[in-house]
Amino acid sequence: MRKKSLLTGAALAACLATSGVPALAGKSDDTLTVAFAKQLENLDAYSATAREMIVIARHVWDGLLYRDPATGEYLGNLAESFEWVDATTIDFVLREGVTFHNGEAFDADDAVYTLNWVSKPENGVSNQGNVNWIASAEKTGPYSLRLHLKEPFPAALEYLSGPVVMYPNEYHAEVGTAGMGSNPVGTGPYKVTSVEAGKRYVFEKNDGYFAGPKGTAEIGKIVWRTIPERNTQFAELLSGGVDWVWQVPPDQAEKLGKKFSVSNESTMRIGYVSFDSAGRTGETPMSDIRVRKAIAHAINREAIVNALLKGASKVVHSACFPSQFGCFQDVAKYDYDPARAKELLAEAGYPDGFTVPFFAYRDRGYAEAIIGDLAAVGISVDFGYLKYAALRDKVQGGEVPFQFMTWGSNSVNDVSAITSHFFSHGKDDYALDADVKTWLTTADTSIDPAVRKENYAKALSKIADEVYWLPLFSYNVNYVYSDELEFTPYPDEVPRFFQARWK
Amino acid sequence: MTDVTHSIEEEDFGPSPREILKKSILAHRSLLLGFGAIVIIVLAALLAPVLAPHDPYLQDLSIRFTPPVWQDGGSWEHILGTDHLGRDYLSRLLYGARISLTIGIGAVLISGTIGTTLGVCAGYFGGRVDMVVNYLITVRLSMPVVLVALAIVAIFGGSLNIVIMVLGFLLWDRFAVVMRSSTMQVRNMDYVQSAQAVGCSTLRIVLTEIMPNIMNNLIVVATLEMAHAILLEAGLSFLGLGVQPPLPSWGLMVAEGKEMLFFEPWLIMIPGAALFILILSINLMGDGVRDVTAPAGKN
Repeated sequence: MRKKSLLTGAALAACLATSGVPALAGKSDDTLTVAFAKQLENLDAYSATAREMIVIARHVWDGLLYRDPATGEYLGNLAESFEWVDATTIDFVLREGVTFHNGEAFDADDAVYTLNWVSKPENGVSNQGNVNWIASAEKTGPYSLRLHLKEPFPAALEYLSGPVVMYPNEYHAEVGTAGMGSNPVGTGPYKVTSVEAGKRYVFEKNDGYFAGPKGTAEIGKIVWRTIPERNTQFAELLSGGVDWVWQVPPDQAEKLGKKFSVSNESTMRIGYVSFDSAGRTGETPMSDIRVRKAIAHAINREAIVNALLKGASKVVHSACFPSQFGCFQDVAKYDYDPARAKELLAEAGYPDGFTVPFFAYRDRGYAEAIIGDLAAVGISVDFGYLKYAALRDKVQGGEVPFQFMTWGSNSVNDVSAITSHFFSHGKDDYALDADVKTWLTTADTSIDPAVRKENYAKALSKIADEVYWLPLFSYNVNYVYSDELEFTPYPDEVPRFFQARWK
Repeated sequence: MTDVTHSIEEEDFGPSPREILKKSILAHRSLLLGFGAIVIIVLAALLAPVLAPHDPYLQDLSIRFTPPVWQDGGSWEHILGTDHLGRDYLSRLLYGARISLTIGIGAVLISGTIGTTLGVCAGYFGGRVDMVVNYLITVRLSMPVVLVALAIVAIFGGSLNIVIMVLGFLLWDRFAVVMRSSTMQVRNMDYVQSAQAVGCSTLRIVLTEIMPNIMNNLIVVATLEMAHAILLEAGLSFLGLGVQPPLPSWGLMVAEGKEMLFFEPWLIMIPGAALFILILSINLMGDGVRDVTAPAGKN
């Protein structure tokens, strides 16, 4: 143990010596320093697609609505109230007396300008999925507007309370996307006071913030640092250069938990193993259902969750995240039973196992644990560990018989964002089951919740019966932060520093 | 024959070349040290199935990150602890030695064959052959080894055989350069010319007159390149492009331990130290062989 602390001490000393940032921050000077891994090219809410930008956008800007993370209810934010006129029209009454960080007053002109601007593809909003449902907006009064949708889209409220944030029309018309990216102006609880592109941003509390559903911020200053390397983040955390980090792997979180507060929250991402049941890659053992069942019995998902993922993660059996609408849970389940797996393999004509290519793009440790379980029943793999984009292209090109993948459903709480994506005969579909496709299409296009549920249940049951997928587990995120900080994480993976407090 | 029992003949004629060699070997400490360490590592690799206390692939998630025996919580059951999947670290280290040595020897056999053939041809024939070989060497030297290896492995995927092939086909330049100049030195020796005069075939001259005389250089280059290949493999595996799991490559073990750098530093220190000792002893042995066989090179 002495050796260990010496070593850590040496590493810390090295880090302290090299970091130019004063190591003492935190409660004493009301400054919260947070570390994120990804480098942002600019701070324009509509140009960047990284999760980091979503986080910043929630702090600097406001949407018309706000979804209460605790209840899931949509509340008025910059809008005071809203009303569905019909399936494609929503009326909003806006909040009065709100001003942007530069002093510009917020009114219907700003909201209408923003909605119309983002709805035009030529303006280059990088994530078109966030805005391509908007037809147009019109001003109906100084503080009221009407929004037209292209087609009925119940998820509009979700987008209006998330990624669609309101820009100041005069300022944006003057400086454009580039100006917004280097010197952002919003109505949010924090204003940007310093931008060192890709490196460090400083946010200060917006003292004139309206008392909306987000509440008022308490911490005076947030320093946002970009630290790509995880061990460097830990070094900074241990040396006091950083007060808050996230996405900490469970083992490290456990160790850091001795000195820091650790919160764990589930995410919508699930891991799964997918088989080439349809024979897209040619003749493989995977087209035999007995082999797929054998693999389902061979992988000890419970042990992987308990030992490797830990936290809020759970074994999943249905091909979706349990909280998603339509995620039918009463499907066939395959327990860990290596003896049964061997029997099934023998029945399928592989008493001595076989060798098959196996691919993964993240969580090498989990993949190795799966490989270890497979080896125990006689299946050996040629393991390929690729970058996500490379593996995705290979998968979509029909070259991958057997893979460990994950899917986060873009945080959309509906089965259509996962099961329908993978089993509707698209490029990612390795089952190509006509029944499943029919049921999913019926469910996706129906507005009757009962019809949707029934059809999703049929599809998910068949997917489990046929073992087109072996769903593995849900993911979780660890947040590690200073003991002086009070912080609550939410399953949508958007840290809310405007709700954080010093103890 | 030891120093104690000097016979009259020896005193008369002085020590034989073989005895001088033996004496200088025994007097060369770092050579012995390097050689000794290599023998131990080779034996460990060969006898891995006997020596390893556990199956290196057997995972047991309930005993992950068991520390080595000298730390709190360590036990003699897993002397060097267990890794992130609960596999015995000592067993993986022993089997990892096999991977490192296989790659080192495999790559050197390929690159040595290519390089020596080219070098000896260039040195012996000279003229156009020399020009062509020089051109090839220049081309090869202009390619950054690590970058090319990364690119090839990224395209074809990492596996033991591919890594051996890639390194073998990339590391022949030093063999070629050294063999070429050594051959040039030897080519004009009287005994070579005598052999030519007698009418020996080129092949025979190269194999029996030239090769034995440039063998010491070959051995030195081979050891250096072997160390080079082993380090490159560790680098590639560390980047995830070399040997693929679950094979226990030392570079891969370092990569797997990197995540826990701050909390379980022994995960990196153990394979790192093994790699360090292996490379050091190969280099010591290479230097020693050079010193002993070519006294002029001692300074």
